[in-house]
Amino acid sequence: MTVVDPRPRVVVAPDGAPHVAGVRCQACAEPVAYPWPACPECGGPVVAAEFGPDGVVWSATVVRIPVAGRTPPYTLAYVDLDDGPRVLAHVDGDSAPAVGTRVRLLAGAPDPHVEVIG
Amino acid sequence: MNAVAVHGVGTSHFGRVPGTDLVTLAWNAVSEALADAGPEPVDAVWVGTVFAPAGVAQRVLRAMGITRVPVVTVENACASGTTAFAEACEAVRSGRYGRVLALGLEQMSTAFDGAITPENTDPEGATGLALPALYAMAATRYLHDGAVTPAQLAAVSVKNHAHALHNPRAQYSGRYTVDEVLASRMIADPLTLLQCCPTSDGAAAAVVGPATGGPREVGVRGVALRSGAPWGRRSPHVWGYDIVHETAADALAAAGLHAATDVDVVEVHDAFTIGEIVTTEALGLVAPGEGGKAAETGVTALGGAHPVNPSGGLLSRGHPLGATGLAQLAEIVWQLRGEAGGRQVEGARIGLVETMGGGVSALDGNACVVAVLEAP
Ligand SMILES: [Zn+2]
Repeated sequence: MTVVDPRPRVVVAPDGAPHVAGVRCQACAEPVAYPWPACPECGGPVVAAEFGPDGVVWSATVVRIPVAGRTPPYTLAYVDLDDGPRVLAHVDGDSAPAVGTRVRLLAGAPDPHVEVIG
Repeated sequence: MNAVAVHGVGTSHFGRVPGTDLVTLAWNAVSEALADAGPEPVDAVWVGTVFAPAGVAQRVLRAMGITRVPVVTVENACASGTTAFAEACEAVRSGRYGRVLALGLEQMSTAFDGAITPENTDPEGATGLALPALYAMAATRYLHDGAVTPAQLAAVSVKNHAHALHNPRAQYSGRYTVDEVLASRMIADPLTLLQCCPTSDGAAAAVVGPATGGPREVGVRGVALRSGAPWGRRSPHVWGYDIVHETAADALAAAGLHAATDVDVVEVHDAFTIGEIVTTEALGLVAPGEGGKAAETGVTALGGAHPVNPSGGLLSRGHPLGATGLAQLAEIVWQLRGEAGGRQVEGARIGLVETMGGGVSALDGNACVVAVLEAP
C-alpha cells in the first residue's frame, strides 16, 4: 500500500536553489510549508509559494535513541526559513547547531535537510 | 445545570506488565472507583485511550458487567483520560446522564520498544521527531534564552522521584542527585534518561455525578479543554506554552479563581522535565523564567509554597498515555480528601490537574485539559 509522503516537499528552482514548496495565505500572509487547502492560522484562501533556501535555527537536538527506520544519533533542527515557515530539518553531524545559526536547504534528500553556512 | 462532583476514583498499579491484559488493568481501576463511589450503577461511560485496539472499551467493560449503557471512546493523545473526564463532567452538568464513569487505559509495553514512534502520516513524525526530541527542542531553546539551567532541569527529576517514594502505585522512585540525573544516558540533547517518563501500562478511573454534599465528594469547580493554535515562527513561546496558558485561564475563570497561585496542590504533565518547568510558568504558578528556579529551590516540592506532582508525576508514577489524566485526577482527589499518606499536602483545599497531549506537526498541542477541584 502506498502512503502519501507527508514531509515538506523540497524543489529545485531554475536558479538551482532548493526551496520548500508550500502555500501562502492571501488573507493574512501566513507562510505554510505544506500544500494545504486553507490557511491554518485564519482559514483564508492560499496560493502556491516557495520558501528558502536560507534560514535560521530556532532550536535543535540530537536524537540518540532508536526510532523506526532511523540510525541514531541524528541531528534535527527547527529552522525558520527567511520570510517562510518553521520547518523541521535534519542537519549533518552528531552535534546540534546553536540557536541562531544560519543554515541553507540542501536538494535531493528524502527529509528536509540543511547545512550550516557562514 | 447541576453542580458536579467526583464520587470515587481508582487506579491500577503503574509499570511494565506485558503479561497483564487490559481487562485486568481496567478492572483494578474501575472496581476501586466504584467501591469508592458507592453501589449505584453508572448511566454512561467515557473511555480515553490512544493506542489500544478498536473496541477496547466495550471489551474491558463487558468483562466487569458494565453493558447496555452508552459507551464513548475518545482519543486526544496524552490528554485522552482527562478528555474523557471533561466530557463525563459535562454530561452530568447538563443533566444528560446521572452518574458517569470516566476510564483511561493504555498498555505501552506491548505497543512500543522504547520512545513513542512518531506517526508516519504526520510530517514531523515522518521526519524522525520522536516525542522526546520535541520536548528537547523546548529545552534547548530555554537553555539558550537563559530561562533554565541544566541543573534546574535535573532538579525536576530529583524532586518527582523523591515524591514517588511515598506513592506505592508509582512505577519508579528514588533519591537521586542532580549530578546523577545529568549523568544518565542522553536521550535527546539536553534531556537525559532520568528526565524522561518511562514506558508504562496502567488504568485509572473516576465516577462523576451530581454534587450532593457528601463527606467524601470532591467538587468539580471548573474544567476546560482546548486544542492548540498553529505553532511556528509567529509563536512567542516554546511549543505547548500557549495552549496550557489559555486552557488554564478558561478553567480558573470557570472555577471563579483569580490565579493558579490560589491553588494548593497541582498535578501537571511532566512527561519530560522541561514540560513541568514550562507548564508551571504557563499556568501562572510561577513567573515566566522562574520554573527551573522553583524546582531547584523547593518551591514546587512537597512542603514548598506551590507543591507540584506530589504523586511523582509522569516521570516517576509512569505515563500510560490514556490513563495518565485520570491518574493525575485520582491523586488530586486523594490530596483534597486528606488521604495521600506520606505525600499529603497539609490542608489542601483547592487542587488542579493539567494534561497536555501532542504529536501533530505545526500545532501547539493536540489537546490540553485543565480541571480545578475542591475539597469536600
Ligand atoms: Zn491566513
